[in-house]
Amino acid sequence: MNNEKRHMGLKTLNRASNTVIYILLVIISVIWLLPFVFIVFQSFRVESTWQVGYVIPQQWGLQNYINLWNSDFKRWYLNTFIIALASAVLVTVIQLCMSYTLSRFRFKMRGPLMRFMLILGMFPGMLTMIILYRVLADLGLTQANAVPGLILVGVASSGMGYYVSKGFFDTIPKSLDEAARVDGATRFQVLYKIILPLAKPIVIYTILTAFMGPWGDFVFARYVAMGTSAGYNVAVGMYSWLTNDQINSWYTTFCAGGVIVALPVTILFMCLQKYYVEGVTGGAVKG
Amino acid sequence: MASVKLTNVKKIYDKNVVAVHDFNLEIKDKEFVVFVGPSGCGKSTTLRMIAGLEDISEGTVEIDGEVVNDLQPKDRGIAMVFQNYALYPHMSVYDNIAFSLRLKKVPEDVIYDKVTKAAEILGITEYLMRKPRALSGGQRQRVAIGRAMVRDSKVFLMDEPLSNLDAKLRNQMRAEIILLRQKLDTTFIYVTHDQTEAMTLADRIVIMKDGFIMQVGSPDEVFDMPDNLFVAEFIGAPKMNIVRTKLVCEGGKYYVTPFGAKIPVDGDKGKALAARNVKSGDVLLGVRPEHIQLAKAADHAIPCTLVVDEMMGSELHLHVDTEDGSRLIVRVPTLDLDKEERRALVAGAKLHITFEGKAMHLFDPDTEKNLLT
Repeated sequence: MNNEKRHMGLKTLNRASNTVIYILLVIISVIWLLPFVFIVFQSFRVESTWQVGYVIPQQWGLQNYINLWNSDFKRWYLNTFIIALASAVLVTVIQLCMSYTLSRFRFKMRGPLMRFMLILGMFPGMLTMIILYRVLADLGLTQANAVPGLILVGVASSGMGYYVSKGFFDTIPKSLDEAARVDGATRFQVLYKIILPLAKPIVIYTILTAFMGPWGDFVFARYVAMGTSAGYNVAVGMYSWLTNDQINSWYTTFCAGGVIVALPVTILFMCLQKYYVEGVTGGAVKG
Repeated sequence: MASVKLTNVKKIYDKNVVAVHDFNLEIKDKEFVVFVGPSGCGKSTTLRMIAGLEDISEGTVEIDGEVVNDLQPKDRGIAMVFQNYALYPHMSVYDNIAFSLRLKKVPEDVIYDKVTKAAEILGITEYLMRKPRALSGGQRQRVAIGRAMVRDSKVFLMDEPLSNLDAKLRNQMRAEIILLRQKLDTTFIYVTHDQTEAMTLADRIVIMKDGFIMQVGSPDEVFDMPDNLFVAEFIGAPKMNIVRTKLVCEGGKYYVTPFGAKIPVDGDKGKALAARNVKSGDVLLGVRPEHIQLAKAADHAIPCTLVVDEMMGSELHLHVDTEDGSRLIVRVPTLDLDKEERRALVAGAKLHITFEGKAMHLFDPDTEKNLLT
């Protein structure tokens, strides 16, 4: 009897604390979502292109999106997409090969190499900006040719980001590799027939992060394009609309651009978030 | 089907850790050889060197007369079963077994025939479409064996294949491996730390310790004639009783004098000692628990006190202390005891034990080598 009462008490307490937590979470997400809702509303506002003192548009329409289509935005969007896609593919291939190698092969200097890359990775990439620009300029990969230049910058040091996927590979038993090798698989076949299917979360995590970096890049992209519109990515291009003399005629179009930029990333994340979470936590927990 | 020959094989890890010293062994075609020893004795390392999963530091490994030191595992004509099964978790049982054949680009209809035939032999036909995680340990091990079977390899390597199974299943799978061996009729090299597995499966047992071979021989040989103290204690359960005592030679006859008793070393063993002209002196006397009998008080019977009695069902394991405090184990078949005798066997009971000369093993206390081999 007594026990039952205590049990009921615990249950009620649990439910109460859950309710509080959920209310808190809802409040936080509403606050967090407000700016996004604001931008979406602005992008459909037709009555003026300026910044205004209210949120809900008086007149709704697609004029801002039509403006986008008629501007340089198409070019910038395409540039960004090419850079992000190429980086995603190349970085994923290089990083996964690197991680597999460091996880499975034992060679001289393996330890020092890993430590060296770890320490090197602690320096901010921005430090290399000036010398990188010089190198790219000598190669003719700046301004109008910024796209291949930025791909090169994004891919060049990608092997150094091996930690997460190596940690994940380490959790896959080595005997699977050995069984496959006895079965007749080459090292490369072991990687793509056995290891990668088992490491799906980490592959998707790698693709997503490799895509996201260049997709939202601003500093390097602006620097390498150096004022040539043909070499801009979306972030740099849209930023040119925010100067004092441009902002009043481009503000709502800027918001529409923001929505379009966010769209593919949002869709990607919604489809793959299950794997993404596994990827972020998987290596750490199991390792 | 093939012979395997290891000549002066050595494994040296970085920092000069030697895992296997000068390993020499010739395994005949269709022979079932078991490497057995405590963990860290180098048995798995040796197997992995034969498989090609571990570099060979020195020496040569030949399979069917061909030196395979520099060949990839897949080119050595071997199949291997791993301790943790190593099934590919994302593939069905069928795909697991078919994996090696698909890599060889064997036509799908041939693959189908081979996989279903192997599944039939192993009794896993109904699980072919399942993923490994939906199988029990025993079923997984069968799949692992099936995967090795379809490769039609010359040598079958098994690395502790039963150690992850529970005791009952292990006994059952052990019998199945004996049947499988009859069906496949190929060369087997089997690694285990379990001497029962070694004794029941092997044509020849290779007993290893710290990277050295301690003895190679048939189960009978290693049990009856252990080369040294290590083998004597390792093979047989419960392990052999070892007592330090004196060997006395009187008028051409040999006696041992454990615990004040004087027991003649007669028969072949006595003759063997005489033939080797062994002098009186300290020896290590070994007697297996099953070779010690309970006795009535008599001249050569050794008095002792029962400390623990373990009822194993068909037999009793009696742990007894002699008067000088040595602990011995005696194995008594329960059928040999009537009710009265059984009831008397409680802790603290005073007993007498004895053993015959032919059951004795004598070892040199310094070299730990058998004095009779």
